[in-house]
Formats: sequence, structure tokens, C-alpha cells
Amino acid sequence: MRIEVRLYATLRRFAPTAEGGILFVDVAEGATAADAIATVKVDADEVHLLMINGRNCPAGQALCEGDRLGLFPPIGGG
Amino acid sequence: MGRKNSLELLAAGEIPLRYQRNFGTLGIEGQMRLLKSRVAVVGAGGLGGNAIELLARLGVGFLRIIDGDCFEVHNLNRQLLATEATLGMNKARVAAARVAEVNSEVQTHALPEMVTEENARQLLTGMDVVVDALDCIDCRLLISRTAQELKIPLVHAAIAGCTGQVATILPDGPGLEKIYRTAGPSGKGIETVLGTPAPTAALAAAIQAQEVVKVLTGIGEPLAGKLLYFDTGLHIYEMVNLG
Repeated sequence: MRIEVRLYATLRRFAPTAEGGILFVDVAEGATAADAIATVKVDADEVHLLMINGRNCPAGQALCEGDRLGLFPPIGGG
Repeated sequence: MGRKNSLELLAAGEIPLRYQRNFGTLGIEGQMRLLKSRVAVVGAGGLGGNAIELLARLGVGFLRIIDGDCFEVHNLNRQLLATEATLGMNKARVAAARVAEVNSEVQTHALPEMVTEENARQLLTGMDVVVDALDCIDCRLLISRTAQELKIPLVHAAIAGCTGQVATILPDGPGLEKIYRTAGPSGKGIETVLGTPAPTAALAAAIQAQEVVKVLTGIGEPLAGKLLYFDTGLHIYEMVNLG
């Protein structure tokens, strides 16, 4: 199934050719957010916040066709 | 004109000239609520300096300003209260002096100390809202937990490069542990790579101050249970439901 992955801030360097950090990738039926992170070759340790369709989710959450997965690194400055 | 006089005028249905331009948005009831409110700002750097300035001008009646650091040269790029004249001075004390210049109706309590496991409850007790303007993820998680234990709403913001985030953490809602899995070894995030430029600090602090007003007055819809993420480099404004 095909999903959309959006990489934010420094995570965009894992897909330097993806305009705006947006990629469309194929993952297996039943794949989780963690599987999608591996598919796009993002370092999972750098992902602190995940969202599917605008809602925060754990890495183990299963994906559905057409889902939009957002991956955020930690922002801590002040 | 002191705070008491302003409150008396407002109670009589009159608008103190100082707050005239707040009136259309806040109304008499909203302005009175702000003047009677107590807010702790934890961190008086890039976020905190801007937030303190805005909260003082809005007329929040009491500000407890907590920061054990002194201004250094590398703060000058973004920290409103860092000037060549204040280098070496404690940030909380400088902030309190600035508030006195801007709005003498605002009482301040400058605490030149860092938040720790030992003093967090004491520092935040009695506040109506806590502003998280820190620069260390561990400390942010600490005050988020403490504010929730004390049943005090907390307004979080953090910045790095052109990106920033703001969230309002309510006592019975999701806490900052939803945003930060764990702090890294340095307790820092991607700001170590991207830095912390002035426009991002000012933007995040302005949204943060607006959240404080919303929580205190009930006007508008706070970012409760939500995280607003922005990236001004790419014009991205995302809302994440923290569920």
C-alpha cells in the first residue's frame, strides 16, 4: 500500500531530493510507522514525535492505505 | 496609576488608558482577569524575554521570573533582554527591572535560580499558569510533570532554526512526554545543529503569550492537547493532536 511520509526540519536530510521533505512510499499491508521509518531510511533515534493524519501515535501503530505519516525531531531551544 | 486603581476603574466599567488598546479583544472582564493573575515564566532567555515583555504590556498582574543564568555575548542574537549593558547580569533580575520600566502595575518576583527536582514544586506553587521558556529537554519534562501534579496549566514553546512548537499542557491532558521521547545525552534537541535565531524566538514567544491570555481569560481556543509546529522557512504550520 502507498503512504505519504513527511519529514520535518533536520530529518529532511535523509531524503534530500524529496521536495519539502514529502515522499510517497510503498509499504506492506499491516506495516507500522516504525516499518515506514525503516523504509525511508530515517534514523529512528532522531524521531521523537510521530503523527498519522495529524494525530500523535506510537511507532508501533499500524498504517492504512493513503495515511500521512509525519516525523519530527526534538526541538528544545529557547 | 497603580494596579489597584486600574482594577477599581475596570470594576466601575471604565478602561484605564494604559489598557485601552487591549479592550477590543480582552474586554473589561478579560483585563481584570489578567491583572489578577499570577504567571511563572521559567527561563528568561530568547523565549522568556519576549514572553515577559508581552505579558507585562498585556497587564498580567504578577510575574514570577525564574532563571539562574547571566547574559552572555552569544545571547545577543535573539534575547530581547540581552544588551551590551546587561552582559554578565542575572536574567531574572534584568527581566524584573524591564517589567518595572514597561508596566509598574505588574508585580514581579525575580528568582535567580535554576529549576531542579528539589525546588520545582515550591517555585511553581500558587501560579495560575506556567510558561515553559527553558532550553533543556530534561528541565522541560520536569516542569511539565510538576505543573500537572500541581494542577496548573503550562504553556510550552521550543525553537530551532526556522522551526518552533507551542503547546498548552492542561493538568488532565497529555504532557510533554508525548512530544519528547527522552532527552538525548546533552538534554538538547536539533537547536544544537540549527541554532536559535531571533525571529523564531519572537514568533514562538508571541504565540506562547497569546496562549497564556487564552487560558487566563477563557477568550479563544487554547492549544490544549495539541502541538502547533511551524517552519517559517517552508511556510509550514502543522497542528498535531497529542491525544
